[in-house]
Amino acid sequence: MEAGSFLRSPISVTHNQPLRRRIESGFPRFVGASIAANSDGRYRGPKPRRDWVADWVSKNDDFVRSLPIYVGGASLLAVLFNRTVSGVAPVADASSSQSRADLLTLGLAVTNILSGLVWLSIRPKSISMISPEGIECQRINPQLPTPVVSELLWIWESISDVTCCRSLVVVYDSSCILQIGFAAKSSDSDGEAVSVDTSTLKQGSLYQGVMKSGAQNYLANLSLYPGRSELPFLPSNTQAVILQPLGDRGIAIIGGDTIRGFTTSDQAWISLIGEKLDATLANYLENFPFAVVDKV
Amino acid sequence: MSNACVSFRPLIQLKISNQFGARKVIKKSLQISARLGNNSRSSPENQQVNLSVLRFTFGIPGLDESYLPRWIGYGFGSLLILNHFAGANLATYATPAQLRTEALGLSLAAFSITLPYLGKFLKGATSMDQTTIPEGSEQIFVMSPNVSNAQKEDLAWATYILLRNTNAIAVLISIQGQLCVRGYWNTPESVSKTNILDWFERQIEIIGLSDVEGKLYFPQISDSGLWEMLPKGTRSILVQPVLQAPNPSGNAMQLKNEGFVLLASSMRYAYSDKDRAWIGALAKKFRGKSTCNTDLQGL
Repeated sequence: MEAGSFLRSPISVTHNQPLRRRIESGFPRFVGASIAANSDGRYRGPKPRRDWVADWVSKNDDFVRSLPIYVGGASLLAVLFNRTVSGVAPVADASSSQSRADLLTLGLAVTNILSGLVWLSIRPKSISMISPEGIECQRINPQLPTPVVSELLWIWESISDVTCCRSLVVVYDSSCILQIGFAAKSSDSDGEAVSVDTSTLKQGSLYQGVMKSGAQNYLANLSLYPGRSELPFLPSNTQAVILQPLGDRGIAIIGGDTIRGFTTSDQAWISLIGEKLDATLANYLENFPFAVVDKV
Repeated sequence: MSNACVSFRPLIQLKISNQFGARKVIKKSLQISARLGNNSRSSPENQQVNLSVLRFTFGIPGLDESYLPRWIGYGFGSLLILNHFAGANLATYATPAQLRTEALGLSLAAFSITLPYLGKFLKGATSMDQTTIPEGSEQIFVMSPNVSNAQKEDLAWATYILLRNTNAIAVLISIQGQLCVRGYWNTPESVSKTNILDWFERQIEIIGLSDVEGKLYFPQISDSGLWEMLPKGTRSILVQPVLQAPNPSGNAMQLKNEGFVLLASSMRYAYSDKDRAWIGALAKKFRGKSTCNTDLQGL
């Protein structure tokens, strides 16, 4: 997919695989049972067993969801059939032990059917990801000290591997210190990625809202928000955006390719990572004069 | 424009998106609520079955209704057996029809009992278990002394974030022999505060954790426990090795192990796929800094 663009960038982000790793249902239940034994065998603890049931259930999700309904329905019919075949009148009273046993079995069958219905109703809607339209870029302010750069690159690598994030922009102290991933293609003839205009961004309502509240803002379906126009540097079909304030001096803008693609867990991790990034940046960049970001 | 999803103990937590950019809120209500099909925005080809199902709940906090089939299975199953023997006491033998019904009933009861277990692995299922703190243990937080300041900050932050964001109650990070231990651990009384790090190092040496090659995840540990240093009541463990950053020109099979991250939790199946992915990403932060510098030569 993006193999060609990755080769363009001078800073390798240690991605060797061409496909993106995602958390899909096919992810093995755990990793580790199939590892080869240590060559010197120094790990002396137990090896975990493979969880067959968990694997099978996650692979056959749809089938398992409707299984209780079929089982309950079949048992219901079987009970009635049994009654008619054995010549007992189909009367729902508890007078004989046969009737009592039948009633109990019917109760169990109904429980199964209802349980299957509940499982079906809570099936999460699977939303497909939409490939962002734009070009890949990797712009880092060259004046940043090395620890900051490695921290930023680690953040990009983590977020893009684990979540549906495809673009990341970090603005600190009125200048854009990082723009990485997919960006909108500019309409100029050079066709380079649109750069971040921090002054317009800072005047926009999205930025000011986030700075005022000091809390993360998750726009789960970006097409619904009028503030979309304030983020022209993101690809036009970015589906979800997280705006994470970095203290009161900066903001991190994370663009994803799936509607509601960031889970609560992702949001919590991103907000804690944002705090760490703010601490790192404040530590290293106290009075740092920022030049306009150059393309790397 | 929100997805109508209000329910007390949903087996998944559906988000309500607020149009004006306010913080996302997950609403919970104490009533039985009907969930309406919300397919207004879905395209025709991925229409779900539109079921209006009453989400059944007793409204008692802490009671997990997803275990209801199991209780019903036990209850009705025992009633069936009672019925069989009560009937036999009256000196009437059970007819074949009754035996058939009872066999069917008992197998249904067994199936119902396993339903919550199967339901745990479905997409979108959230576990209602809570982590419990082992009694009689204290929280500890120790770090090896010869760690650089930057590394100290990173370790402190990483252990804090792991304890806060996952179901772990105990964290141990070991990088190139330097340890950082935080949380509730089962240290014996005889070990003084100054020797605690040595004790942990010896335990790690005995188990050989520094040489783990792949991720290890034990989601169900029995009551007898696994390793001595783990807190009592540990039910799941995750060991995430920290591998050296792969050299672009080098052989990927020769990645050395620089350390590991060990997480222990008091609930079973504590770490979902997503949690494990995040923990793996966090572990990459501690890869050797020297390899990171070579990547920046393009600057």
